[in-house]
Amino acid sequence: MEGNMVTIDNTKRDKAIDLLRSESDSKLVTHLNACVRCGLCADSCMYYLAMKEPKYIPSVKVNMVSSIYRKYCTFEGKIAPALVNAKKLDEEMAAEMVDLLFGACTMCGRCVKHCSIGVDIPFLVKKGREMLATMDLVPETLQSTVDAAVNTGNNMGIPTEEFVDTIKWMEEELTDEMQDERARIPLDEQDKELFYTLNPREPKFFPLSISAMAKIFYAANAEWTLSSKYYDVTNYGYFNANTKEATIIAENLYNEVHRLHGKRLILGECGHGSRANRWEGPNYLKKKYDFDTVTVVELIAEYIRSGKITLDKTLNKEIYTIHDPCNLVRNGGLMDEIRFVVKNAVENLVEMNPYGKDNFCCGGGGGALAMSEYNDRRLKIGKIKADQIAKTGAKVVITPCHNCVDQLTQLNHTYKLGVKIVTISEIVADALVINNK
Amino acid sequence: MAQLELEGKVFEVDGDGFLTDPGVWNDEVAKLFAKSDGIEDLSEKHWAVVRIIRRNFEEKGNAPMIRTICQETGLKLREIYELFPLGPARGACRVAGLPKPDGCV
Repeated sequence: MEGNMVTIDNTKRDKAIDLLRSESDSKLVTHLNACVRCGLCADSCMYYLAMKEPKYIPSVKVNMVSSIYRKYCTFEGKIAPALVNAKKLDEEMAAEMVDLLFGACTMCGRCVKHCSIGVDIPFLVKKGREMLATMDLVPETLQSTVDAAVNTGNNMGIPTEEFVDTIKWMEEELTDEMQDERARIPLDEQDKELFYTLNPREPKFFPLSISAMAKIFYAANAEWTLSSKYYDVTNYGYFNANTKEATIIAENLYNEVHRLHGKRLILGECGHGSRANRWEGPNYLKKKYDFDTVTVVELIAEYIRSGKITLDKTLNKEIYTIHDPCNLVRNGGLMDEIRFVVKNAVENLVEMNPYGKDNFCCGGGGGALAMSEYNDRRLKIGKIKADQIAKTGAKVVITPCHNCVDQLTQLNHTYKLGVKIVTISEIVADALVINNK
Repeated sequence: MAQLELEGKVFEVDGDGFLTDPGVWNDEVAKLFAKSDGIEDLSEKHWAVVRIIRRNFEEKGNAPMIRTICQETGLKLREIYELFPLGPARGACRVAGLPKPDGCV
């Protein structure tokens, strides 16, 4: 999209500016006014580190949004825009916003940790994206992923029948492997304790993580089910920042949990999906969820602590490292929980540097993986992650996020890392000692 | 949109290197794309995967489920991941000349 011109409809532009006028949003106003452009955030950002151009500095991205705010929402900006760096939202500005807010930010939030005053930069980037969504300026490939979810119930447009066939196929293999008819993958069963969710890439292309999780449920004697219609844990409406679409997607899942009377919504291995359902969902729907939302990482940790599953970590003999998904760790609080699970499942763990809350994004977050327009940048910033992995000497990278898995798989190939990328359920399933026959 | 030059031939591709016009695809394109992913020679097994993906695309307009690929080719899941290290989407579907599937792939 770089250099591409865009066309703006004036009515929609006014609506976009109105998003900054929301007087009830004190967080928005505070953060829009807070950045002093000290530039400390520069070296925290993968885009700036990889490409060293000033436009990639997080504060520059923030400044695009706040300069529009000043122009239309402050007295000084209205009468003397040049003095306060207030700028018009014209077509040139909109094109630049698309390029940098969609094309050069994974909303990983690493900059927030390095900001001297804690400006919530991804929150402002997302506000900018909301403005662009209001003007119909979402990159086409990202929009098509959202459209698929809204129109079909899952972001890959998998027909229900093909999903059901795949699940039955995985179930047969599992029953054979366990030699037990009780080793199942239940579909559309009501009143189960756990309502499990998937990333559609699992049934479509990578179903080993489905059987891994089913094996863990089997070992734990869990009462669980999948829905055949709304099983998608993702919500790309969080990334295209179209609140209406994000709400539809969140509501479909919410209603389905109710329809099947699930007691706990178990969020499959997906960073943004966990965030979009757990933290953003109640905001989208404007109501408190009346069931628990729990990530699969926490559920597995619970099984280990309570003795519901037994792991033998000597079964996983390689050297492992962890890639921390931003939305589960820096922005989700699961740093220790992930390590608790992994240390129970493998013998040798080597951490990356930095790791945990300061870890670098895989480079494919924020919807980047879905946006072909910015593929080159995604691979360039991914070099930072690739180097981090190479330095650990690990042979296997564990990450509880399918989006990260896909980006890391591509980095593995591009930068010839020679590692294996696995999800947390796969590594736990490989260490399971099954003793409930 | 971008251009990809492989052995003197120029292809219109999206940012991820998937063919913009699936209609220009043929066996030679498949070989060139595979080679650019580090697959020097497409084996019979590679072709079996590519053909079923292509057929599904021509009949239904999208990539088949991995289950269909396994069942039609008789290959095991893990074999497919070994044949196409970038996976069924970025690896096999690209070689088969499909547009990039939506979602986290």
